[in-house]
This record gives sequence, structure tokens and C-alpha cells, in this order.
Amino acid sequence: MSKINPAFNKELEKFGSVNYNACYNCGNCTAVCSLSTEDDSFPREMVRLSVLGLEDDIRSSLKPWECYYCGECSTHCPQEANPGELMMSLRRYLTAHYDWTGLSGLMYKSLTLSIIAFVATFAAVIAFAVSVGFELEKMLHFGHMFEGIAIGTIGFTILLPNIARMWYYTILKPKTKVTFMKYVKSIGELFIHMFTQKRALGCDDNQFRWFEHFILVIGYLSLLFTTVVLNWFGTSSLFVIVLGYIMSAIVFVVTIDFVKGRMKAKKEVSKHSQPSDIFFVVWLFLMGLTAFMVRLFIDLDILESNKWLYIFHLTVLVQWALIIVPFGKWTHFLYRSFAMYFAKLKAD
Amino acid sequence: MENPIRNIAYDALVIGAGIAGGETALNLANTGYKVLLVDRELSVGGKMIMLSKVFPTLDCAACITTPKVSEISRHPNITIFTGSEVSKIRKVSDNEFVALVTKQPRYVHIEDCTACQLCEKACPVNVRDQYQFGLIGRKAAFIPFSICSPKAAAIDIDNCTLCGACEKVCPTNCIDFTMEVETMELHVKTIVVATGFNLFNAEKMPRYGFGKYKNVITAQQMERELAPTRPFNTILRPGDGKVPDKIAYVLCVGSRDASIGNPVCSQICCMYSIKQAQLLMGSLPMADVTIYYINIRSFGKGFEEFYQQAKGMGVNFVKGKIGRISEKENGNLILRYEDINEGKLQEAEHDMVILSTGVLPNTGIDKLFENQKLQLDQFSFIGQSDMLASPAKTSIEGVFVAGTATGPMDIPDSILSAGSASSEAISYLIQHP
Repeated sequence: MSKINPAFNKELEKFGSVNYNACYNCGNCTAVCSLSTEDDSFPREMVRLSVLGLEDDIRSSLKPWECYYCGECSTHCPQEANPGELMMSLRRYLTAHYDWTGLSGLMYKSLTLSIIAFVATFAAVIAFAVSVGFELEKMLHFGHMFEGIAIGTIGFTILLPNIARMWYYTILKPKTKVTFMKYVKSIGELFIHMFTQKRALGCDDNQFRWFEHFILVIGYLSLLFTTVVLNWFGTSSLFVIVLGYIMSAIVFVVTIDFVKGRMKAKKEVSKHSQPSDIFFVVWLFLMGLTAFMVRLFIDLDILESNKWLYIFHLTVLVQWALIIVPFGKWTHFLYRSFAMYFAKLKAD
Repeated sequence: MENPIRNIAYDALVIGAGIAGGETALNLANTGYKVLLVDRELSVGGKMIMLSKVFPTLDCAACITTPKVSEISRHPNITIFTGSEVSKIRKVSDNEFVALVTKQPRYVHIEDCTACQLCEKACPVNVRDQYQFGLIGRKAAFIPFSICSPKAAAIDIDNCTLCGACEKVCPTNCIDFTMEVETMELHVKTIVVATGFNLFNAEKMPRYGFGKYKNVITAQQMERELAPTRPFNTILRPGDGKVPDKIAYVLCVGSRDASIGNPVCSQICCMYSIKQAQLLMGSLPMADVTIYYINIRSFGKGFEEFYQQAKGMGVNFVKGKIGRISEKENGNLILRYEDINEGKLQEAEHDMVILSTGVLPNTGIDKLFENQKLQLDQFSFIGQSDMLASPAKTSIEGVFVAGTATGPMDIPDSILSAGSASSEAISYLIQHP
């Protein structure tokens, strides 16, 4: 039996949906979507489920993750019901539901809370800096330690349980029978999508956006590896130093274009940006830029006299690791890859 | 423009000589009023005279229009100006409007022309025939179409090379290149606006490929292919002249679509598409005809039965708006849509696609009025000041509106509306002698 939630509209509005109730079911959105297929037809199905407030069906659906938001459906919607933005809101809604801590949902719904979180982390960093007497060596050491510990802790206590919850909602609860061998055999799908996002290539006139995104993911992951494993700020290996410069430059140069797009809000995809979308690209930009600057200052030997830069970098890093990665848009990267993996499991 | 010819007086000015304007003019003239009927086209009859048959009775459109048209043309109380446009209207008093009418030169003296078509044969210029909606060509010296009225040649001066071949062959010497634009100042007591509608330009929806894919045509073009005076004598697809056997109709092209700026229903497309589908099944008994729709709106008298009749004849009805059309190498077309009943994305191949384009307002009429404001409705059709009680009244006393100038409607409704406008106008004329 299906349960209908008549107030679902109100709930989804908090995640940014606009006007989807105007839908008159012509199916134009599904027909113009270049990712939609006979076996996987969307977004109208999701519009229908949302209009009716069939929350169980929405939570068990992987379709919101299969959309890469080219915006064609919204551009051509005869009712201006904005199906593209609905899919985006559903991704935010699902993120909130997968998250066992509930913090994702709270931060999506309340900008104030997000700002409080950002301010609190900033205060914590300052407090830490004071406690070590602004000693650069100690701060650098802590920063390096922090990255490793944060990745491990966030990964095991938040991201992994959330993925498990996603698996529960989409595979276990709808009683999809999947053999163990299938889990093993399909695992390649997960990594392919995680590193390449190749599905986004299917979107019309999206090759450039996909390429930017691809470079960004590679740049981001390599930067993470360079700083955490290769200890970029502490190393004396020329190779690692140059590698770090390149990777951090890639991250902030590519994100400039994304930030510009969000600010201009001309394309369908960025017309309805939520604060969470802005935070994501801006913080990514700051991460790349401040990391680049810190290493540059180290090489020029002026970081000692410009400790503020490192404190700034550390703040961005802590906010990124404690707010945006576990509760913000970063998780989409993870859920999308797993959604493709789960979809493969579900397909015969 | 030089000095206008002055002091021409009529009781009523009817702008637009389609079925609504024609009916209004006839009603006024039969009551004894002198009427001037103005139309910018070269023939009276409007859009209806170009149609094949009418729904839901499948009566021949020309057989209804032509007797009416000849009655209008021969009526002693009606003067017709074709190729003419009203450029200014000023209200002087309750029973006097001054209107400026510009008559474009036809370069043919209508009264002398016998429509022998010798000029057509002699003319060396070939251009697309706008009266067959581009399906075939015509000459620069041409008779607009076979059942036009006045039935006389005209010179398309924009495409004419001024070679003089037509002049030489004309047996009655009716071709006259010295004709000039005439401007007339009219004094009338009442005005009826019957300026009709425009059809949506399908080129504004590039994803349907009209103008790019040759086998995607509009329903208006199909109307010509089905008419008794049709250009090809059978149904052909324009790309290669093949007789199609898998035909698709795409409904709601340019109507019920806020993304192209027209969110309202055009009221006629469902029915004319169903009508054409039935006629196609008669012309091409082996052909498959599929109509892709959002909702079938068969709301009028006999409409639902007409829809059921089409279903009974074997017309396929598929619920789902077409998203994209792409062309195959052989000229066939792939239509992408979501089958709403199945909830699945589908692709279907057809060898000819007909776009059922919607009704848009014929804009600019309100600009003619100089010292009064002709109110428009929110979709730029002419506003009815009292829609329920006196649907023919506009925001200007003494100016009435008939037919699709007020919004989308079918032929019976247009004629009803003309009846309403003419009786309002007659009543106004009696009250303001």
C-alpha cells in the first residue's frame, strides 16, 4: 500500500523546488531529456511522485541521481513547472534523508544554521591558534594531522552509514533480490562513475561542462592525495611540490568558471542556485587558492610573517571537511556514483 | 502618401473579410446599411476558403464559403476593398468615425480582367505560392487561387522583373503598371473588427524541425493537400513526392505552451487534426495515422462523437507530447515522446509529420485607434468589455468585434459571433442615426 503525503509540497519547497504542481503530464520533459531511456524514464515520473507525495517511492528511487541537470526539461516545459529544479530539490531531499545525523536537512532548510556552523568552525580554528600561541610549526602539523583524521572519521561515522542507509532505502526495503556475485561483478561501475562521471557526457551540448567537471574531480582528488599522503606543505621533493601547485591551480581555475556561472545565473542549471550550491563552489575555489598560496609563501619563505594566510586556509579546510563534505553538496558526488552502482544491481 | 480621396461615407466599416467579417457585412447589408469591407489579402474569404472540409460534419468548406463570398461580392450594399489596410481610425462623435484606408496597387484593373490566365503563362518569374502555403510555386503575375474573389489577376511587384510579357499577352489590356497606392478618408458610423488570428510559426520550435526537415509540414499545408482544389491531386510528402503511409500529428504546437509564450488552448487543433486524420484515411486507406496529444478537447456539439468516429476508423491516439523530432537519411522522421499511459520513453518512426499549429492573436489592431483605446485581453486578443452579456462590445462605443479577433474559436462560433456583432452594430446604427 502506498502512503500519500499531501503536505509533501511544503516539505520539498524548503529544499528549493518551484512550481512543479503546475505539471499537466504531457511528458515533454522526459521526451527532451537525452539521458532518459525506455527503461529509465524521467523526470515526469518524479514530478508525478512528488505531486502525489509518495515519499516511499521517492526514497527508493535512484532516478534523481541519474539526472545531470542540463536544464533542457525546464527550458521546454510548456507549464513552466521546472522539472529540472525539482530533480535538484529531490537530490537535496534525498541527501537529507540518507543522512542519519539529520544535519544535512537542517542546513539545507536553514541558511542561518549553515552560517552559524561556518562561524563556529572559524571560532574553533582561532581558539586552536590561540592555544598553540600562533606557532606556525604546530599549526602546520595540526593541519596535516587534521586532514587525515577528518577523512577517516567523517568517512566511517557519517558517509559510510549514509551510503548504507541509501542502500537500505533503494535496494533492501523495496526487496530487490541481488546475489553476492552481482555486487562483486558490478563494483567497476561504481569507480568508473566516481572518477569519470561519464553519464554526464550523455547530456546534450554538455561536453565542455563534463570536461571541466572531470578535470576538477581529478584535480581535487589528486590535491587531496598530495596534501594528505605526500604531505605537500612539509615535503622537500620537487616533484611533489610541482604536482601540488598544478593540482591546486587546476582546482581554483576551473572553479572560477563554475562560480561565474552561478553568479550570472543565465543557464537553466544555475538559475535557481541554493546557498548550498554557492558554498560548494566557493569553498572549493578557496581551498585550491589558499593551498596554492600557502605553498607559495612557504617557498618564498614569507609564511612565518603571514600566519593569517595559513589560519585562513585552515579555516576553509576545516569548514570544507566538517560541513560541506559530510552535510553539503559534496555528498552528491558519492551518492551519484553509488546510484549508478545500485542501478546496475537493480537492472537485469 | 499623397492627398487622400475625401468624403467617402458608409454606414459601417468591417475590417477583415474572413468568414466572420463577411457574415457581419452581409447581415448589415441585408438590413439596408451601406458597408465597406476591407481586407489586406487579394481575395475575400479569409482562412476558411482555403480549408478542405469542416468538422464535425465533414461538409466541404469551399461549398459553404463560396456561395457566401459571391453573395458578398454581388451585394449592392457592400463595397469590397482587397489588398487594402486601415491605417488610422479617429472617433469624431458618437455616429462618426474617420478612417484612413490605404489600398495597395494590384496593377490589374479588376473589372476588365477575365481571369484567362494568359499572363500567368507568359510570366517568367517563379516564386513560392503563399496561398498554397509554400507547397507549390506560382508566377509573379498570378490569380491568387482558383476560387478567389474577386477572381482577377494580380502582379506581385516585389518579385516582378517588369519584363512586360504579361502586358503583351493580356487580351483586355487590364494590366496597368502605372497604378499607385491610393489613400482614402472614410466617414463611417460604426466599425466591426473581424481581423481573425495568426497561426503559430512552427519555425519557432526548432526541435520539431519545421523548415529544416522537408517532410515536417503544418496542418495548414495538409489542409491544402486535402482540399478539392488541392495542388497535387493526391497526398504527397514534400521531401521526395512519396505517398506517405505512416503519418503523425503533433498536437499543441504553439498552444498550451508557456515556454513559447502562448499558454492557452487553441480550441480547434484537436478537432481539425481528427478531421484531417479521417480525410487521410479516406484518401490513403492503407496509411497509418497517429495523433500524439496531451488531452483531446472535443467539447462542442457533435465533437466527441466525431472523435469516437475517428477512433472507430482506426486512427491511433497516443497520449504524450512530442519532445523532439529527428530526420533519418531516407527522409523519415523519428519522434521522441513519453507514452503517458505506459510511463515510458518511446521513439516512433513516421514518414510524414504534421504539426497542428495553434492560434495566436492578430496583433496591431489596437494601434489604429488614435483618440480612443481599444482594450486587449491578457493574451493580446481584442478585449470584450462585457463578455457575458454583450460579447461583441469592445472598450470603444460603436466599435464591435466578431470572430477569432476575440480569441480562439471554431467556424460555427465565429459565425455566431458575427451574428452578435452585426446585431449590436445595427442596434447602434438605429440609436445613433
